[in-house]
Amino acid sequence: MGADPSKRADLLQGTLELLILRTLTTGEKHGYEIAEWIHVASAEALSVEEGALYPALHRLELRGLLTAAWDVSANNRRAKYYRLTANGRKRLKDTTESWRRTSAAINRVLEGT
Amino acid sequence: MAEWLSSLRLRLRALLRRRQLEQDLQDEVAFHLAMREDQLRTSGAIDAGAGARRRFGSVTKIREDLREAWAFAPRMSSLLQDLKYAARTLRRSRGFAVVVVLTLGLGIGANTAFFSIINAALLRPLGYADADRLVSVHEGFPQRGIDRFPFSALDFDDFRSYQQSFERVAAYRNVPFELSGGGNPERIEGAKVSANLFRTLGVNPIVGRSFSTAEDRPGVNVAILSWGLWQQRYAANPSIVGQTIQLDRQPYTVIGIMPATFVFPRRGPQFNSQPADLWVPIAFTERERAERATMHNNSVIARLKDGVSLQAARAALDVLAGQIAESYPPVLRKAGFSPRLAAQPLREEISGQFEAPLLMLQAATGLVLLVACANVANLILSRVAGRTREFAVRTALGARPRRLVQLLLCEASLLSVAGGVTGITIAYWAVNAVPAVIARTIPGLQDVAIDLRVLAFTGVMCLATAVIFALLPLATLDRGSPGDSLRDDSSRTTLASRKLRIQRGFVVSTVGLAFVLLVGAGLFIRSFASLMSTDIGFRPAQVVTASMTLPRTFYTTATSVRTFHESLYGSLLALPGVRSVALATNLPLTTYDVRAFTPEGANIPEGAQPTTHLTWVHGPYFETFRMTLRHGRFFVNDEHVQNRSVVIINEKLADLFWPGEDPVGKRLKWGIAASQAPWLTVVGVVGNVADGPIGAEPGLHAYEPFRQLPEFFLNGAVNQFGRDVKAAVLAHGEPRALAALIRQEISTLDRELAIQNIELMDQQVSDIVAPQRFSTLLVGAFAAVALFLASVGLYGLLAFTITQRTREIAVRLALGAERRAVMRMVVAQGAQLVAIGLTAGLVVSLGLTRFVTSLLYRTNQYDLVTFITVPAVLAAAAFIACALPAWRAARVEPATALRAE
Repeated sequence: MGADPSKRADLLQGTLELLILRTLTTGEKHGYEIAEWIHVASAEALSVEEGALYPALHRLELRGLLTAAWDVSANNRRAKYYRLTANGRKRLKDTTESWRRTSAAINRVLEGT
Repeated sequence: MAEWLSSLRLRLRALLRRRQLEQDLQDEVAFHLAMREDQLRTSGAIDAGAGARRRFGSVTKIREDLREAWAFAPRMSSLLQDLKYAARTLRRSRGFAVVVVLTLGLGIGANTAFFSIINAALLRPLGYADADRLVSVHEGFPQRGIDRFPFSALDFDDFRSYQQSFERVAAYRNVPFELSGGGNPERIEGAKVSANLFRTLGVNPIVGRSFSTAEDRPGVNVAILSWGLWQQRYAANPSIVGQTIQLDRQPYTVIGIMPATFVFPRRGPQFNSQPADLWVPIAFTERERAERATMHNNSVIARLKDGVSLQAARAALDVLAGQIAESYPPVLRKAGFSPRLAAQPLREEISGQFEAPLLMLQAATGLVLLVACANVANLILSRVAGRTREFAVRTALGARPRRLVQLLLCEASLLSVAGGVTGITIAYWAVNAVPAVIARTIPGLQDVAIDLRVLAFTGVMCLATAVIFALLPLATLDRGSPGDSLRDDSSRTTLASRKLRIQRGFVVSTVGLAFVLLVGAGLFIRSFASLMSTDIGFRPAQVVTASMTLPRTFYTTATSVRTFHESLYGSLLALPGVRSVALATNLPLTTYDVRAFTPEGANIPEGAQPTTHLTWVHGPYFETFRMTLRHGRFFVNDEHVQNRSVVIINEKLADLFWPGEDPVGKRLKWGIAASQAPWLTVVGVVGNVADGPIGAEPGLHAYEPFRQLPEFFLNGAVNQFGRDVKAAVLAHGEPRALAALIRQEISTLDRELAIQNIELMDQQVSDIVAPQRFSTLLVGAFAAVALFLASVGLYGLLAFTITQRTREIAVRLALGAERRAVMRMVVAQGAQLVAIGLTAGLVVSLGLTRFVTSLLYRTNQYDLVTFITVPAVLAAAAFIACALPAWRAARVEPATALRAE
């Protein structure tokens, strides 16, 4: 239980979940699309192994923040599409709110000097 | 909450469609990889497939994670796997497992045993309604030095009429009965109770009814049966209610049966505390109500009125006591007979005095368990230290820390569950080893059982121990990252110095503790040995005894009692294989009557009237018990005739009044100098015989022929005098076979008569030292446990340090150190700790033994044998504990050990 790595993982996980929720506000997507979207949107800043996305997705699904359905993709493959639920939307709003407050506070501290 | 529900719903669905889930997980990952591969290929990658997998990470691990996320009870499968693995690991190191299980078993067993006693004595409910409101009320005559005393009938009447603090008050006392008619006659414990006793306790009969107030008067013969008696004697037949049974040969009508859970009186240190098999109305007679300050034999139980506190009730009792004292005759009051009344919660009265010592003992055994845990932790540490690499490899291979914790916890749980089972077995055995003699003195101890609450306690204990000794090693595991352990030993050395100090402390203190307990055990054993070699003044071998009580209501006249004696004596003597027979009011090891007496010519100052125990004997009593004749002669046959006025005294009495003289021919009489009793001539002096606990200072004792007993003594309609008959039969050979014959003879004489018991005299001698034997056994057991724990602790510590130092030892060996030197080094390390422990133990023991001197019999508190044997035993055990790891250290193969590092 190395203290530092696990804390870093927690932080990462929270961020990853937030990003997933944000990604899905524009409509339903499958895992690959979400990975691509995060990759692009975060300007490749978050270098996560793509596989790590899936446990996070499934956790969100299990918690009822996302729903999932199987469908056929644009290139005619069987794919699992994720969509935000009302709960997910609410959670995103709450989390974004607190995230903004935190980062605003940090900014004030950093720029206040 | 909603999240929890939705996850439950989804998991349930997944559980029902396991194959679908598996397929979905596969497909989803495959889809991602395919999409990525396409993308990479279009952007011109050389090996698109490999690139996709690289960017994805470990496919197997992700799939594993996903499966785990969806598992219904997450981690269940891995738990099972770990359990299996743990079991396999433990099977491989069987010696380790056995020592750990035994150590834990001893700790848990001792705690379970004590808790089951506490459970029975303090925690189990009394079984009465609102038992918190029940108090027991006492009288007392503080001026006469009597703090607590049962009530006399008159005082109880006054108390009942004038008191206002209690809703109900009831009196009761224990009375034994001969129960006959239908089936074998038997001696049972009964209680005479006020009609409202059952209402006071708030418990009703389950069959029939309880007593009415009208039935609480002399001449009304009604009885209520206990559940146990009803089951055993009347085969639970409900039609017994309304029928007649014979109590002391008088017909009583059964009117009710109490429920199975009802026990009254409760066993305990209070007066009248024998659980009754049946209850009859107390029905005070005119004679009982005739006088103040006599026949104080009624216990009183009362229920506080709603809203009245115990303090208020106590204050009211003080006032009431003053009023009752007013009705005492001035003569009595002048003599200090002025009653006080005191109330105490019933629960406190029964078990209050045992609370503190029991809890203290429990705390002490708790400490033992803690030491056991520490020792086990030591052992596990030494294993974990050896397994640091295994864990490091596991971590490197991706095992999460939680999984390692789980693995260790699994091992710990397996060990502690096994320890718990061993512990319960030990506790069961220990609780059953408590002899009845001791069980009778502590309330609830006779009904000690390993019940659900005890099992729950043990369960919690197992869990706690598992957590404690699993987490201790874990704390060390967390010290370094896996890299450290794989790279070098730096983490070990820092860890070692910090941990070792604590562990050394543990070892030293366990050795010290073991020393103290061994000294205690040694002293007790020595004391017990000298107790057993004490001259008890008679020979119990080959003597079988029978005791019975002639019911006064049937054997009303002196003639009937004497006839019974003569017939019994004659018929027993006629039995085959009988050497001699004697009847007596009491046997050796017990007393019957204490009398004031006046030796002829002695100048007795007022208030110093001597008293002696007195036994009436019929037949060759002294010959049967083979007592020693010091002077004169035993009774001869024709002296078993009334009014020959002879007496035999014991050595103690003779030495006290006729020192240096020949006591034969001297005279004494019962009572004070002015009494009208006839002078009795001393015809013989016998050696002192133990009258009670062996080893106690012998008391004065006199013996008179039973036939000499005055008529009026036996005719008394109230007194039970002379109706307790003990028969002693000396056999030619094996006495056991006589028991059945004796029973038969008594039954032929009086078919209704209940025989209390037929026992070997040897057994009675053995019973009387049961408390000493038990305390010796108990201290001995504790000492053995401490010795074991100390050895295990020492072994664990040395084994641990050696695992730590394997490399160092290997280097030493490689550089040419002798194996014997390595062994010496290890043993020296242990010996140092043992020496400190022994010294500490010696100092503490020397200081503590004075507290047990009062318990020792003819044994010096600084008994040399004990103080030499104990260190020797401890040192021997310690040597074995050191030698095993030392031997292992010496077998280190330098080449292998160094390469492994």
